[in-house]
Amino acid sequence: MIEKIARPDEVRRIDGDLPIRHRYTPGLAGEAFFIALRDLGVLLGSRCQACEYTYVPARSFCERCFAELSPDVEVGPGGQLVSFTIAFVDADGDPLETPETFGLVRLDGADAVMLHRVLDPPDEGPLEVGERVEVVVKPDAERTGSILDIEGFRVVEE
Amino acid sequence: MGRVAVVGAGMTRFVRRAQETGKELAWEAAREALASCELALDRVDAVCLTSAPDAFDGVHMKGEYLSDGAGAFGKPFIRTYVGGGSGVFTAIQAYSTVASGMADVVLAVAEEKMSSTQPHPQGAFLTIFDNLLERPLGPNLLWIFALEMNRYMHAYGLDKRDIAQVAVKNRRNAADHPAALLGDADITVEDVLASETLAWPVQRLDVSPISDGAVALVVASEEAAKDITEAPVWIQGVGWNLDTAYWTNRDLVFPEYVANAARSAYAMAGVTEPRKQIHIAEPYDPFDYKELHHLEGLLLFDKGKAPEAVRDGVLNRDGDLPSCPSGGLLGVGNPIAAAGLMKVAELFWQLRGEAGARQVPGTPERGVAQAWGDLMQVGTVVVMGRDGGPMRTASAPPTPPRATPGRSLSEAEFRGAVGAVEDALGAEYAWDAGVGIGRFLDGLEAGEIFGRACRRCERVLVPPRMFCERCFRATDGWVQVEGTGVVETFSICHVRWDMQPLDQPEIPAVIAIDGSDGGFLHKLGEVAAEDVSIGMAVEAVWRPEEERTGSILDIEYFRPRMAGTSETAPPQGEAT
Repeated sequence: MIEKIARPDEVRRIDGDLPIRHRYTPGLAGEAFFIALRDLGVLLGSRCQACEYTYVPARSFCERCFAELSPDVEVGPGGQLVSFTIAFVDADGDPLETPETFGLVRLDGADAVMLHRVLDPPDEGPLEVGERVEVVVKPDAERTGSILDIEGFRVVEE
Repeated sequence: MGRVAVVGAGMTRFVRRAQETGKELAWEAAREALASCELALDRVDAVCLTSAPDAFDGVHMKGEYLSDGAGAFGKPFIRTYVGGGSGVFTAIQAYSTVASGMADVVLAVAEEKMSSTQPHPQGAFLTIFDNLLERPLGPNLLWIFALEMNRYMHAYGLDKRDIAQVAVKNRRNAADHPAALLGDADITVEDVLASETLAWPVQRLDVSPISDGAVALVVASEEAAKDITEAPVWIQGVGWNLDTAYWTNRDLVFPEYVANAARSAYAMAGVTEPRKQIHIAEPYDPFDYKELHHLEGLLLFDKGKAPEAVRDGVLNRDGDLPSCPSGGLLGVGNPIAAAGLMKVAELFWQLRGEAGARQVPGTPERGVAQAWGDLMQVGTVVVMGRDGGPMRTASAPPTPPRATPGRSLSEAEFRGAVGAVEDALGAEYAWDAGVGIGRFLDGLEAGEIFGRACRRCERVLVPPRMFCERCFRATDGWVQVEGTGVVETFSICHVRWDMQPLDQPEIPAVIAIDGSDGGFLHKLGEVAAEDVSIGMAVEAVWRPEEERTGSILDIEYFRPRMAGTSETAPPQGEAT
């Protein structure tokens, strides 16, 4: 018979970790996307002519037909809010001082949707799926080649 | 059940740090494999992917992350993973998927991007050591291989020169491989023997390098294969087998699990005399001695005889049994999962006469590819042959890779890539000792060593286990043993797990504790490295009682047994 330990606090344990970190490089299409964002403040996508589908951020290949793609289509800055969520807690479940809104947006000219913050949700009523938004990019001098070079999406009046 | 064939193959260059993402690497290899047999993605019914630990790429659920690059959009998809054995295993998975009738055409894709892991991919592997009994010793992954290599050399009185010849052969072979990272036509045995000692007997050039890369195969049913190509290469047999999870309890001299896997594959393939019926071997060679170890496990050479074969040129590309004509992991590179599938791809190219400058002479009919992994205990084996069909020498396409748009990043490019992000998972764990090890640690705190007896298997297990993995019964009772034993094997390690030099070399050893069965990992002390020998009697040196914490480190180390204490105390029998 297996012996049972009756008092869980007496169980011997040892603490440890995985002592590693990771450096993620953006790859072929990803680097082109980040350079264009940093240097020009624009969002690059890739269009697969055969599948009639435009990916954003740009990709090196079409996952539908395996064609090689180039990061050569500028999309946005306008787009449509496909869905959103309002976060009241952080990743650890602790309350946020100010709720944060995140949205999925289909940028004009793109088929794929993109995730980012939704800035300053309108005071005059709740945010609605289907609203027109636009990308807000940080000023030239503040962009470093990061997804955070995009401040977020801002609702625009139609 | 119809036959199953490989009909196309492709691979990226193996590089130190690929500019491509893992997805992009997978796509390059998969696209190349499809192009090699003129198939479009819509002919693929299912995708089998493999990639080694998620921690290497730093992406949890890595298989799903890589799926688009493997062509799995909207398709049945499965990721299998058996550590280093994964590459060959994914060919077995593709075989099974087709042989079962579930798919006619399968893409098998293997990818690894080890360069993401900082400061060294070994960090992701530290938890394969027992977190309570081994990791507190500060192990380096190299220990496992160095300890096995030393035991293998000791058992047969092998000369390091003969083993180093494997590294020379493979790096020279790789000089003819367009995808190779470390090809070197001019390397000599002296170069290997003069390279930095990492964990004796393992030196820098005995080891394959960490790498990025991807490989893909197209695997098809008999009907589809005949439609796709005039020269399919048939998967004649597959096999895989696992040894015990307790690596210090294994036979470190002969990989019985590889032999079991090979026997399965040979039986399926109708191979009764492997040495005569196998014409090309691609055994797994992350270390030079492993190629020899595995050739013996594959039953291609008698035990202890593979070193003679490499010395006598039998394993050369123009020898009687070409082994690793690709250049292997030692020469082409070692993006873990991809490296294994590279071996299967090499058999495909060799058996079709498409291996270019690497082509073995004559008309080889059959080859065997093998990989090794999990907790260094799985053997995965695939036997492939033409079944009397034609080679395609006349219409051979260029040797791979035909297209690799990406390239290797320099250190500066790697550090400076626009858009790059560095992050730590920050995962922390608290590992429970459990029942058996909890009691064992209680014993150490009291200066006593306890094992468990399995009466049916007549074994005493130290450290103790509450069940016997052989007969699958609960073990029968506690047994106290003395803190004395014999050195089964040892290494002299000069580097930490992150490959930074140690101030003082360490001497890890597998110790057979007197009165128990199977080895036990610890370190040796109070002895000069040059005075350690296999078979040496040792005894535990305990920490002062007040400093003990119920840890494996309550034994500081083992030291040579002092004169006058050489009596081996018998086990004291059943304790309470």
